[in-house]
Amino acid sequence: MSALFTPRANGIFKAVLVILVAGAGGTVAALMGYARVPYGTGQQEQIQQPVVFDHRHHVQDDLIDCRYCHTTVERAPSAGIPSTELCLNCHSQVWNKSPLLDLVRASWFSGQPIPWVRVHRLPAFVYFNHSAHVNKGVGCVECHGRVDRMAAIEQVAPLNMGWCLDCHRDPYPRLRPLEEITSMTWMPEGDRAQLGRELARKYDVKPRTSCYTCHR
Amino acid sequence: MSTAQKTLEEVHELEGPPVLVGRPGDRALTESLLEPVLGRTRRGWLLLLLALGGGVTFWLISLGATFAIGIGAWGNNIPVAWAYDITNFVWWIGIGHAGTLISAILLLFQQKWRTSINRFAEAMTLFAVAMAGLYPIIHLGRPWLFWWLIPYPSTLQVWPNFKSALPWDVFAISTYATVSFLFWYLGLIPDLATARDAARDRARRVVYGIMAFGWRGSARHWQHYRIGYLLLAGLSTPLVVSVHTIVSFDFAISQLPGWHTTIFPPYFVAGAIFSGFAMVMTLMIPARRLLGYRQVVTERHLENMAKVMLATGLMVSYGYVMEHFIAWYSGNAFEQFAFLNRWEGRYRAIWLAQLFCNVVAPQVFWFRWARRSEVVLFVVSILINVGMWAERFVIIAVSLTRDFVPSSWANYAPTWVDWGLLFGSISMFGTLFLLFLRFLPAIPIFEVKELRRELEHGGPGVHDAGPGHAVEEVRS
Amino acid sequence: MPSLGLPIYGQQSGLDARRWRTLEEHDAGAPPASREFQPGADLAPEGLGRRSFLQLLGASAALGGLAACQVPREKLVPYVRPAAGVVPSVPGAYATAASDRGYAVGLVVTSWEGRPTKIEGNRDHPASLGGTDAIRQALVLDLYDPARLAGFRHDRRDLSWGAALAELGALARAHEKDQGARLRFLVEPTSSPTLADLRARILRRFPRARFDAWSAFGEGQAREGARVAFGRPLDAVHAVGAADVILSLESDFLAHDGDPLRHGREFAARREPANLNRLYVAEAGFTVTGGAADHRLRMRSADVLGFARAVAAELAGRHGLGALAPLGAPAAGPHAKAAAAVAADLARARGRSLVLAGAAQPAAVHALAAAMNDALGNGGKTVTYRESVVFDGAGGGVRSRLGALATELRDGAVDTLVVTAWNPLHTAPAELGLRESFPEVRSSIVLAYREDETVRAARFRLAQAHFLEAWGDLRARDGTATIVQPLVAPLVECTTEVDLLAAFAGVGQLGAYRIVRDGWRARAGFGPPPPPAAGREAAASPADTNRGVPRDPFELRWEEWLSAGLVREGAPAPATVALDAERVARAIAAVPAPAAGLEARVVPDARLLDGRHSENAWLREFPDPVTKLTWENAALLSPATARRLGIASGDEVELARGGRKVVGPALVVPGHADDSVTLPAGYGQRVQGAVGRVAGFDAYPLRPADDPPFAAGLEARPTGRRVLLAITQGHFTMEGRAIALAEDASRLGEAAHRLDELRGAQPTIHAPADYSKEEYRWGMAIDLSRCIGCGACTVACQAENNIPVVGKDQVLRSREMHWLRVDRYYEGSPEDPRSVSQPLACVHCEAAPCEYVCPVNATVHSDEGLNEMVYNRCVGTRYCSNNCPYKVRRFNYLDYRGTVAPSLKILQNPDVTVRARGVMEKCTYCTQRIERARISARNVGRKIGPDEAVPACAQACPAEAIVFGNLNDPASRVSRLHGDARRYDLLHELGTRPRTAYLVKVRNPNPELA
Repeated sequence: MSALFTPRANGIFKAVLVILVAGAGGTVAALMGYARVPYGTGQQEQIQQPVVFDHRHHVQDDLIDCRYCHTTVERAPSAGIPSTELCLNCHSQVWNKSPLLDLVRASWFSGQPIPWVRVHRLPAFVYFNHSAHVNKGVGCVECHGRVDRMAAIEQVAPLNMGWCLDCHRDPYPRLRPLEEITSMTWMPEGDRAQLGRELARKYDVKPRTSCYTCHR
Repeated sequence: MSTAQKTLEEVHELEGPPVLVGRPGDRALTESLLEPVLGRTRRGWLLLLLALGGGVTFWLISLGATFAIGIGAWGNNIPVAWAYDITNFVWWIGIGHAGTLISAILLLFQQKWRTSINRFAEAMTLFAVAMAGLYPIIHLGRPWLFWWLIPYPSTLQVWPNFKSALPWDVFAISTYATVSFLFWYLGLIPDLATARDAARDRARRVVYGIMAFGWRGSARHWQHYRIGYLLLAGLSTPLVVSVHTIVSFDFAISQLPGWHTTIFPPYFVAGAIFSGFAMVMTLMIPARRLLGYRQVVTERHLENMAKVMLATGLMVSYGYVMEHFIAWYSGNAFEQFAFLNRWEGRYRAIWLAQLFCNVVAPQVFWFRWARRSEVVLFVVSILINVGMWAERFVIIAVSLTRDFVPSSWANYAPTWVDWGLLFGSISMFGTLFLLFLRFLPAIPIFEVKELRRELEHGGPGVHDAGPGHAVEEVRS
Repeated sequence: MPSLGLPIYGQQSGLDARRWRTLEEHDAGAPPASREFQPGADLAPEGLGRRSFLQLLGASAALGGLAACQVPREKLVPYVRPAAGVVPSVPGAYATAASDRGYAVGLVVTSWEGRPTKIEGNRDHPASLGGTDAIRQALVLDLYDPARLAGFRHDRRDLSWGAALAELGALARAHEKDQGARLRFLVEPTSSPTLADLRARILRRFPRARFDAWSAFGEGQAREGARVAFGRPLDAVHAVGAADVILSLESDFLAHDGDPLRHGREFAARREPANLNRLYVAEAGFTVTGGAADHRLRMRSADVLGFARAVAAELAGRHGLGALAPLGAPAAGPHAKAAAAVAADLARARGRSLVLAGAAQPAAVHALAAAMNDALGNGGKTVTYRESVVFDGAGGGVRSRLGALATELRDGAVDTLVVTAWNPLHTAPAELGLRESFPEVRSSIVLAYREDETVRAARFRLAQAHFLEAWGDLRARDGTATIVQPLVAPLVECTTEVDLLAAFAGVGQLGAYRIVRDGWRARAGFGPPPPPAAGREAAASPADTNRGVPRDPFELRWEEWLSAGLVREGAPAPATVALDAERVARAIAAVPAPAAGLEARVVPDARLLDGRHSENAWLREFPDPVTKLTWENAALLSPATARRLGIASGDEVELARGGRKVVGPALVVPGHADDSVTLPAGYGQRVQGAVGRVAGFDAYPLRPADDPPFAAGLEARPTGRRVLLAITQGHFTMEGRAIALAEDASRLGEAAHRLDELRGAQPTIHAPADYSKEEYRWGMAIDLSRCIGCGACTVACQAENNIPVVGKDQVLRSREMHWLRVDRYYEGSPEDPRSVSQPLACVHCEAAPCEYVCPVNATVHSDEGLNEMVYNRCVGTRYCSNNCPYKVRRFNYLDYRGTVAPSLKILQNPDVTVRARGVMEKCTYCTQRIERARISARNVGRKIGPDEAVPACAQACPAEAIVFGNLNDPASRVSRLHGDARRYDLLHELGTRPRTAYLVKVRNPNPELA
């Protein structure tokens, strides 16, 4: 009777076995990689905002301090998204005819808020508090990056738990004097970690890693 | 036929039943043992499959309900947060113990009588472990997160808690499942090759051919086979003990009265083998009748298994006694109450049923007639299966209904989903087993042939029933 | 830092009760809160988004870091104009008041971006002192009730408020010609000065109109008793704390009668071994007060007068209080010995004793109590009398209240009937025939919060505003007033009692805000109100008022009143009284001798009162403080009586009296008086919503036609059917285990030795973790001696921690979710036991059994030693609950949030994660409050103050039985209590080292009754 399998069968059989095993391992590896690459964490995602708001212009050209618009960053969990009224503090005078600001004026007259799109999203069970960080010398730039160079705000940090913990375990290289808290360009000369230790003493920085610090 | 029977009776009186009736030739053995696999489908088999199919549907519906509704679909509550789910889990895992014991330990002890039942038991083990393996996942409130129990470097920088017994459960069960599967499959290979060669149609030959991994029975193949088989046997021997020991830790490490006991590991392992053999018996007796395996699975096998059940049954009984003794001797009021509650509490009936099935029933095996009577063996083995389920329920759920602070005491009542998961998993188990009997050689053909050769050179426990008789046996 | 004209008030967390800001912007200009509820605007940065996101949690959380990709982009919706004082993600706290039988209970309400979420007591208010009860806290749930009435309907025509106002005005004018002879008002008893003014105005306009006041369980008998004793309807104000010996004549003064919150606070202070008082309670049903008693004397309600007279006779005879001689009458009954002992005790404590009579008891008993207090020289010391500031109509019993109106209705003598009283058709005795005559009234106007029987029968119905949406005012018993200020613009179209009466007074167009405000301007002796224009302008620029530089001097005072929640002006002084023993004697003589036979007692339910809270799911699932029964009512009776009638708990029984039948389940209550059946009212209404429909039977048909609300002649027989009662505690004995300990004061000394085995270090192979070096070591102490078992803590916890309501079926499966339960244990014979209540939540073991069994580290220890439950890590093995010896963990067996109405989702506390299906949860010591306090403290570089981090339960507890704080601060109250001689640890032998310590309950029994 004819041979049931040709000699090539062995090769195919072995190949299949290898593919099965490698495939299983590869899938796991791929998923774990995905959770770590910017694409997976949603970094560098371009987000269309309803109003074309350019931080470069406001921060660099007009030298407006972050806290002028994000008013509650020093005393509340939320940094605060500026109200339409706040926008019009200036824009009732300057660029008050600009078509770019139509939506803002419309909002003011209709009373309908401007629906900004959230860029930095934390899961619902994470209770991040801006004031707790800003008052202890963690500057805006540490998490939000060079906003002064962003045409549209994008997420520069992975914002995953490991990233939070890295800083909560070793905050020193990321601390700065409170006067420089909103500075985008501040760079100390010398060892920053060393300076950080002094500042930590000065501001009584004691980051905790207990779960309830962020989860409630 | 009748003459054959008489001669058998006489022989039994002399030296106990043989491990192999007659001296069928290789061809005869191959034919008889492959007949269920290569022969036509039997109607009884189909009907049985259909019946079990109903149970499987019930099972799938219950699983669906569990995922859709949540654990709330079960009767679990606070304080009884574990009930049928974990009871079924421990029960199945226990049943899954006979296989490796028979295959590995008896192999190492060179017990001849294991040969014809080992694959049978291994298959049963695999299916039981498959059933058991489901529960740790479906009993989770958020089953889609089960992989958090597996240690791996995550972006959360959080690891499983190795102080808990549950991650070790994952390791124990997956290891046990893997090794049992390899062991079982390795043993199958030569017979798959036999099936390949004996198969008449091409389709079967191709399928069995692929499954046989190109086995040609060359000396080198056999040498590798022997080494591999022995290695796996050595590997799985400690597993027989370790798996259920770790499962018992799920309870022993807690401080709940009725769980918090150092005697659990040996007591659980004994119970596991006890229920495992009972299940083998439950399946073997009908299979042996229907598929004509009488000749290779003889009273000798049944009797030996009965003896093992008697022994492990006594160990389990000892466990019950010790639990009560320790509860009394510890002087711990909570502990004592937990055990009084078994006798006097609301679930008394289940406790008494457990005692009858696990302690009283096996005692009949002191008598030879009982050890050799298919009916008695079948009934008792069923009783033991029930009894061991009851034991786990009493330990897990009943202990939870009455713990430390009386204000939180509450009772437990199962829902239809709980029943669906219990009977459904039994049906699924049965279905898998039926498929196994139909499509794979349930008796290790080559080992039987081997055994016969050994016997021909005057092995013990053999007698000559004459070739003619042998042929008849095969035909019957 | 830039302030941008943000307000000076309310920037701190809601825990700082001293700095509230006002919300008067609500009425003038565009109220910020209403803007809150414009489309989309409810997605404030830290607001709803959090929870809507959580709905998606399930699978996406499974993917951890990947989750981001699956979730749609959230919107960030800022204010158009910043709402003054509202800082997104920072709660504000505002003072207001709710009514309790017409009197004010001062409250502080937490509000997130204009959303009220939590009601707490106002520590400066005389009727609260910081505590609250379950009912007051649960009111916030009603605000968001999707089933509440909305809009205005007249003869099936839907009207706008403007149109409704016009029609009301027309109706009113039509009555002018006959001076309102055919115009009648049926209102709730109320102390509101504004409503009083409006009533006066209306009566000036319609001299022949009449106001009647009705609520099913008022204080009419008490005031009537005062009228008998002193000649005018006064309110007795009891200084419970000043009394060494207290005799309660069926007065549930710790949970219901008088100012229960103040009573509780004062009473608890006297339950510490140092200065123990002694409480005798004579009662039929087992009440919270009865549970706190040193001697509970169970007797039928009808026999209480007899017992009181026996005591009076003893006082007169043996202790020389001759004045009581004509009032007393020696008793032969089983309580004779007790009467003698009580009398002796009272006599020993002249001027330091107190006799209280229960609201249900007839006027004669109140009069007798007044006489006894008078004779004992307690007047002015433990009891003072004040002119009642509650408008209570004719007062007295049912007949004197409703008799006249009922007759007029039957004779068709009323054209217009304005009803603001709660559902009189349900609560009024059937004999009065309101059900039949009311629908015949040509124009019946009903102001109600929910659809009910009376609303159904009304021609003209007006949706009532929630008190958190309305302007108004109330007075406390001592006359202190509180301006009721709204925290949020009405969520639906509705109006207030002020607006309604104003329409009849002809000033409907002014609006409640101006009416209340101008009224107080006048009362405070300020000039006439400025022309409306100025007023509106003043309010129109919130920045100004908030900078505290108002235009008009009154503004400043007004601001103070609103922010403090107190107006001390115009509080009447205590009345000087002279007892008229003659009249008391006559009143006593007029009371018929108690009839034999089974007594039916229709009582206000501990949760629903007269039924007005029937649709409140929190209260429905709140276990009755005594029976632990949830969702429904049952006929409560003693074991002996149950045996005699062949009834067991859960049997359905048919109860008949005076030709009326009701059918409901029976529940055997240890310690209930024999031959008496207690029937909590308020359930089984004819018109009910989804919540009310769940279970319960109407007990009102068994209520006698006139007060008192109890009478003999009840027949009870089992129908043979069974009812499953959802009771949260199945086992009421301790099985001889050291769980909730109580000890007689005399034996406290030797008990100390036994206590040493229940506390302190234990042998262990592991050195226990040392938290003494940490900055904070949070701990709790629960003093069982102070705890009265009212359960306010349970509801406080539910409101603070977004704890779901699971429904009767789930409670039957013992899956209730309350993190904090109040266990109740009975000691002694089931016939006449003593009881101990024990609040039990997670005790935060330092060596926690739950932690080491969790496979995924979802419950772990914090650096400060708290036992943390991390919902987002939990996979739901439930092993932690199995291994928790206290069984205080709760599991989300079902998706208890899936069915919640959208309007209820905005009730949830944004500071606490809403738990998903399949997740374990438990008490966190209100970690959100700790962290909020920690951050605000650390932001300014200081330590957390002693009272800054207070869990909801401790904050709400009227008895201050729950104390929380830092154990590493030796000066803290909790540290002292942990060192107390009465301290013990629950299940200490297990070596769990709980952070919550218990203090043994002390009893002070009278040796003569031993």
